[in-house]
Amino acid sequence: MIKQHPLILLTPVKEDQVERLQELLAKIKAALHAGTETAFQQVSTLRYGRWVILSRESFRDEPAVPVGIRLIFSTNYDGDLDFHLRELCTGLAQYIDDIYACCEGYPEPGNRTTESRKQYLEQWMIKTSAFFVGAPLRTVKQIRQEKQLKDFIWQLLVKNKWDGKPAVEIHRAIRNAVDAQPEFEWSKQKAKEPSINWKVFLPYVLLLLVALPLVIVGAIYLFLFHELRDKNGTLTLSQLPDSQIRRLEQDEDLFPQNQFTQVAVMKPGFIRRLNFQIWMLRTRVLAGHVFVKGKLLNIPTIHFARWVLIDNNRHVLFFSNFDGSWQQYLGDFIDQSGWGLSGIFSNTVNFPKTRFMVTGGAYDEEHFLAWSRSTQIPTQAWYSAYHDLSIKNINNNTKIRNELRKDLSEKKARIFLKRF
Amino acid sequence: MATLELSEIQAYLVKDYKEMGCSKYYLLQVTDAGEAKKFLSRAAGKITHIKSAVADICLNLGLTSSGLKALGYKEKNLQRFTREFREGMVTPHRQRLLGDFDSSDPAHWQWGGPANESIDIILMLFGKDEATAENYYNSLVQDFQNAFKVVHILNGGPLPSDREHFGFRDGISQPAIIGSGITGINNDNIKAGEFIMGYKNEYNIYPDTALLTEPQGDASLLADDAGGSGYKDVGRNGTYFVLRQLQQHVNAFWTFMKEKTKKEDGSMSNEESTKLAAKMIGRWPSGAPLVKHPDKDPGRESDDNDFYYAKNDKLGYNCPIASHIRRTNPRDHFEETPPHGSLKLTRRHRIMRRVRSYGENFIGSAENHKPGGVVGLLFGCFNADISRQFEFIQYTWANYPKFKRLYADPDPIIGVRENPGPGTEQNFTIPQPTVNKVITGLQSFVTVKGGAYFFFPSVSVIKFLSTI
Repeated sequence: MIKQHPLILLTPVKEDQVERLQELLAKIKAALHAGTETAFQQVSTLRYGRWVILSRESFRDEPAVPVGIRLIFSTNYDGDLDFHLRELCTGLAQYIDDIYACCEGYPEPGNRTTESRKQYLEQWMIKTSAFFVGAPLRTVKQIRQEKQLKDFIWQLLVKNKWDGKPAVEIHRAIRNAVDAQPEFEWSKQKAKEPSINWKVFLPYVLLLLVALPLVIVGAIYLFLFHELRDKNGTLTLSQLPDSQIRRLEQDEDLFPQNQFTQVAVMKPGFIRRLNFQIWMLRTRVLAGHVFVKGKLLNIPTIHFARWVLIDNNRHVLFFSNFDGSWQQYLGDFIDQSGWGLSGIFSNTVNFPKTRFMVTGGAYDEEHFLAWSRSTQIPTQAWYSAYHDLSIKNINNNTKIRNELRKDLSEKKARIFLKRF
Repeated sequence: MATLELSEIQAYLVKDYKEMGCSKYYLLQVTDAGEAKKFLSRAAGKITHIKSAVADICLNLGLTSSGLKALGYKEKNLQRFTREFREGMVTPHRQRLLGDFDSSDPAHWQWGGPANESIDIILMLFGKDEATAENYYNSLVQDFQNAFKVVHILNGGPLPSDREHFGFRDGISQPAIIGSGITGINNDNIKAGEFIMGYKNEYNIYPDTALLTEPQGDASLLADDAGGSGYKDVGRNGTYFVLRQLQQHVNAFWTFMKEKTKKEDGSMSNEESTKLAAKMIGRWPSGAPLVKHPDKDPGRESDDNDFYYAKNDKLGYNCPIASHIRRTNPRDHFEETPPHGSLKLTRRHRIMRRVRSYGENFIGSAENHKPGGVVGLLFGCFNADISRQFEFIQYTWANYPKFKRLYADPDPIIGVRENPGPGTEQNFTIPQPTVNKVITGLQSFVTVKGGAYFFFPSVSVIKFLSTI
């Protein structure tokens, strides 16, 4: 059983190398867009990767602590960290050398080995606070294999006559056809599908019930002493600088998938930071153990999402990889889980006004969208191992593989056939 | 709930002018700002608003952002209009969202594209017949020939027998704006703020509106911002209008349907091709919805809009998930959300469609699909948030091939790319009890010939604009 993990590095950039770094990343981006870049595809553990330059200009609001220019590198990977880093340091060695030569303390050309590269990267690793996986327990290889299997069966279904045959019979015929192909030998093994971890979820719910009076008191306290006094974002989208949005849009909707990178400043005070940590804890429990079937708070388009606290917990980064447009993605958040977003991000400065953490905020659509856009920052280079698959496609493909192996009733066989 | 100021709101938003046999959209460029403002001042009194008495002629007008600029609207104030409107329909990103590629590329447009003369104002004239419209235009033109240059004229009429040129009854499902005097059925009643600035929308908030942050003109003509900012609101009682000229390839459409339903012996069936076309649309040519009439057209012209998907047709056996009307108005069936919640989500993505047809009065069918000359639709729609309404429907629901659980199914009518690129399939999946039927190799039957975004001000704001 192979799990997915987040990797994130935060590396200081040499001031005189920023321009060069930007050029390098722009070149990688262009090659990835054009599809001429192939080294990334060879990194077998790599699902998504991004480089982001984080500087003072990235912050819409005054940073809580002074910030220099740093390079963020984040990946979503399968399995073992050590192996993943090793793969990156061999498969992408050239890129890593070029990019990190612009950063502080990278080994001199004579001293660059897989080991020294890896040690360098490890030195800048930081912790992810909460992490969501849209298709847990699947590796890149498995995702690609299951897509091939689905395509193969789809061709069979489309190109042959099935008139009048019962679904059970069709299902069996497909299985036989797949079995005749040695390349699909792997599909005979059942893929593990994630399930809700009740051992974590039930105690969480119980704890929440027990702590409910405390939660209510906390919410009232927060309302009286923070929410009523906080300064809130009141801009609408039209008031944001056009150039900023156009820069972001340049990289959007080039593929069926998109990415989102955001940086926000935490509100001052221990209470806000504590509240944020409580929400992170909730997110860790829910995202890691409950929302394991492809939906984050009922949003069915997110491949990966993560929250990362940096700068001594004074700033927070949010990254996601998702299907469809920005407008759809943010709209889904408002429509499906505004309270969750408000709970988390109302602890950052200039978030639209909330009441008791959960009302207002993200439900205040105009101001929330403007807040989202204005705290979003450009991603200098972004890689997806499979642009052409939605999270629903991926989860559906796994179901196809598993249901193919089962002996289905007529009713279930019909449901199986609906997957194509 | 705030009462709508009906005598301020241009009537085309709530009335479809179907009884107006002739429409002429004059796309104008300002040549003399002073004269243009004089014209606006005189025109304000002639604008057809919701309370206007029924007449043989109707007049409405809208402006592009370049039009506002040409009149002398200050940059800082212009900045308070939504970015979609300010940038207009043609930007690299918007091209991707709207799918305007290949022969629909704005570079090839007849108007509104980068190669065309810029458009400042749209003057929309409706007459009960051609002569009435012409006469009215001639009386107006005296008034503005020193102010404007006519860049392009779009002639149109109501859809012949309410059918668009492919042959399908159109315009059946429309939202009704609460408080506008028109009431729709069930989920079609939508809060005014989805269409008109200055009123609350389906999120129960005020939509982004064009505030006057830098004083200019006679501000006493303007109302205060309902949102309480303290500024005067130029957007109030105004709306945004999306206009796209869509050429329809009727012969290609029906030839495709026939090819795809050809029997093994090579014979073609009109009945089967009509059925396939109906599956793609989601209604029969008569307008009857497939959800209720899955097997054949009941025949009688139908305006039936009282139907849902979640309970009766969850899997799309009657009306395919990928069909045009089901994607662009999902009603009570979002996969993730129960029916009641789905209806609420649907209400946040509605547009008020205002469609006129151009070219020969031709109604296509499997039997008869060769119009004489070019035919098409002047697709128009009103909305208060172009990004969340029109653009969302066009991209997320129509063009996006991974809609719901699908893999490679764009909207078969309005979402197909002419040259999708190597290896990209475009299919239409028709759910069946056992093996789904898949129509592969979809073709585009619609070409965009021009388009623009307009601001439709209130009557008072038209007067105000004449004072800036």
